[in-house]
Amino acid sequence: MSQITQDQDEHLVKPEELPPGVDLRPHVYDGIQEYDQRLPNWWLWSLYIFIIGYGVFWLAYYQFGMFQDDEARLAGRMQAISVRQAAELESLLAELDSDALWRMSRNSQFVASGKVIYTEKCVACHAADLSSRMGEVQLPGVPLNGREWIYCMLDGSTPVDAVTADPMKIFGLIHNGSPDPTKGMQAWGQDLGPRRVAEVTAYVLSYHDAPPLEAEPDDTSP
Amino acid sequence: MSHHPSPNRKTPDLVSVTTINRDGSRFFLHPADVRGPFTAARRWFALLLLAVYILLPWIPVNGHPAVFFNVAEGRYHVMGLTFITQDLWLLFFLISGLGFSLFFITSLFGRLWCGWACPYTVFLEHVFRRIERLTDGDAAARRALAAAPFTAGKAARRIVKHSLYLLCAAGIAHLFLAYFISLPTLYEYMHQGPLAHWKSFVLVFGLTGALYFSFAWFREQFCIILCPYGRIQSALTDDDTTIIGYDSGRGEPRGRKGTAGAGDCIDCRRCVQVCPTGIDIRNGLQLECIGCAACIDACDEIMVKVDRPRGLVRYDSLNGLEGRRRRILRPRIVLYSVLLAAGLAALTLSLGRLSPVHAVVNRMAGMPFYVHEGEVRNQYKLQLVNKRNTGVDFTVEFPNLPDGARYSISGDALRVPPQDEAEIPFTVTIGHRDFDGPFDLEVLVRAGDGGRQLYRSIRFLGPDPRFFQVDPEPDQEEEAP
Repeated sequence: MSQITQDQDEHLVKPEELPPGVDLRPHVYDGIQEYDQRLPNWWLWSLYIFIIGYGVFWLAYYQFGMFQDDEARLAGRMQAISVRQAAELESLLAELDSDALWRMSRNSQFVASGKVIYTEKCVACHAADLSSRMGEVQLPGVPLNGREWIYCMLDGSTPVDAVTADPMKIFGLIHNGSPDPTKGMQAWGQDLGPRRVAEVTAYVLSYHDAPPLEAEPDDTSP
Repeated sequence: MSHHPSPNRKTPDLVSVTTINRDGSRFFLHPADVRGPFTAARRWFALLLLAVYILLPWIPVNGHPAVFFNVAEGRYHVMGLTFITQDLWLLFFLISGLGFSLFFITSLFGRLWCGWACPYTVFLEHVFRRIERLTDGDAAARRALAAAPFTAGKAARRIVKHSLYLLCAAGIAHLFLAYFISLPTLYEYMHQGPLAHWKSFVLVFGLTGALYFSFAWFREQFCIILCPYGRIQSALTDDDTTIIGYDSGRGEPRGRKGTAGAGDCIDCRRCVQVCPTGIDIRNGLQLECIGCAACIDACDEIMVKVDRPRGLVRYDSLNGLEGRRRRILRPRIVLYSVLLAAGLAALTLSLGRLSPVHAVVNRMAGMPFYVHEGEVRNQYKLQLVNKRNTGVDFTVEFPNLPDGARYSISGDALRVPPQDEAEIPFTVTIGHRDFDGPFDLEVLVRAGDGGRQLYRSIRFLGPDPRFFQVDPEPDQEEEAP
């Protein structure tokens, strides 16, 4: 029991004292002797299996490239996301046009969900009443309730009346951000996705008089 | 000491591991039944632990299972507290605290954990070995059955036993998954095909296989050869640690009852027969000993029968067994308790400061700063996380906002629904005359009325102030004729 704690030499195991089949290595380090016994078979087998397994993996992964590496998988995932986003945008754009946006702006359901987004994301720069003013203070954003529409004209030039503005350009502006990157309007399509961008567009449009529409408006908003 | 290798019986020694034969093959143990106070206490404790493992996912606390690690949504519910992935740093205190508790308990009581509380031992001793006892009988019957030729009767017993093993392994594995996906989701998964949630299926399938392999075949090999905690614990014991030991002064020399000059040990080998790792405790403290106390109960039963005092094999320190003075308070005990207390204090403080709300301030996508009409503007976004089960109204203040600066943030949107989060943009603008270089903007987020205050800091950036001195109105050029 206390072999190790007492005098070393007296307590060294002598080979002739050992049971048959147990070998003793000839060396002694700091009074520590070493038996030479067989490892458990399960231990050896697990070692062999892992050696073979790694060989197979090395061939498959590094030599034959049978599995995607992490970088390729990441690129693939990112690609899949952008493809899905593009498809989402495309499917929305297929049914979306200026008239549709005007109609959405007369639908209380779309306007309500647009208002939630506007209140969270847009108020900091464009103010709750779209005036871009907080009391006396001018906020960074462009006023959205006035008659002046920049970047959004049908012909791309002079700011005139909301009626002559193109809602699809407003949609594009929110989705892709301001064409002038020094102004600070970011591309919200990344954060919100095209459907919610359409809803917030409808909310902004609900503050303006709609041009005569072909279909009957569902609802009249403030 | 004589060595008589036989296929059924072996004399444990200090030279080799009993459960591994000289040729490396496995020697299967058939530990004998044992009765006594320690065995009974251990069984009750194991049943309690099993009940805890089985019941935790079923008991709702604050609307969630008592323990539910919702990895998919990054919400971790523990006894009514909700953590998010950002609280992961607390695990440091939990794990180090558990580590120091293990240090502390081991230096006092040896491998108490292994014999009494380790899930491996609990499942092996109190579930799987009980099944084997039920189907195959006691140690002698099991040994005879193992040696018997393979007949229809033996095959039937084996099929029943291994089916029960697989059933229990599958049950344990499914419950394990329930800790991560909750029971209703588990139930839903189980009604869909294996391919519907193939990752969960592979996990449970693999875990069932691993548990079955461990408890049906591997057994004590794990404790003896693989488990690192046993190794660490062996390094933590000293001559004053309470371990399970044999009083050789009282027991030796061994001899039958009535032999002149013989000690108390009658060499009945009961302690060897009941040992689940196949050692002879009379050889002294060994690496294989998991501290299960089976040999104490076995020896005490014999000592009572031969009219001798109990405790020939007992919980005692090496010093105590040799008749020396027992010490409880040693430097290492003091050190471990101080470390444990420090860790507990840190954990308590951290848990107390743990916020049911969380706020992060980041810069918005785009340029780092904007200069417009002689003003410098920074655009930020505030991420608010509500871990509560009720909605929280957040308010934001800027304690160190310089003179001439103003901010703009959405007012109504700062209400965050229960267990939800919001990302809210805000801007801070400073007139160029008041801007004298970048500074750290402090953001104070208050959650609810008189609620928690979260201080965050983010850099306010702008151009070199000399830019304005050279050209006081850089943005007015367009308007100039």
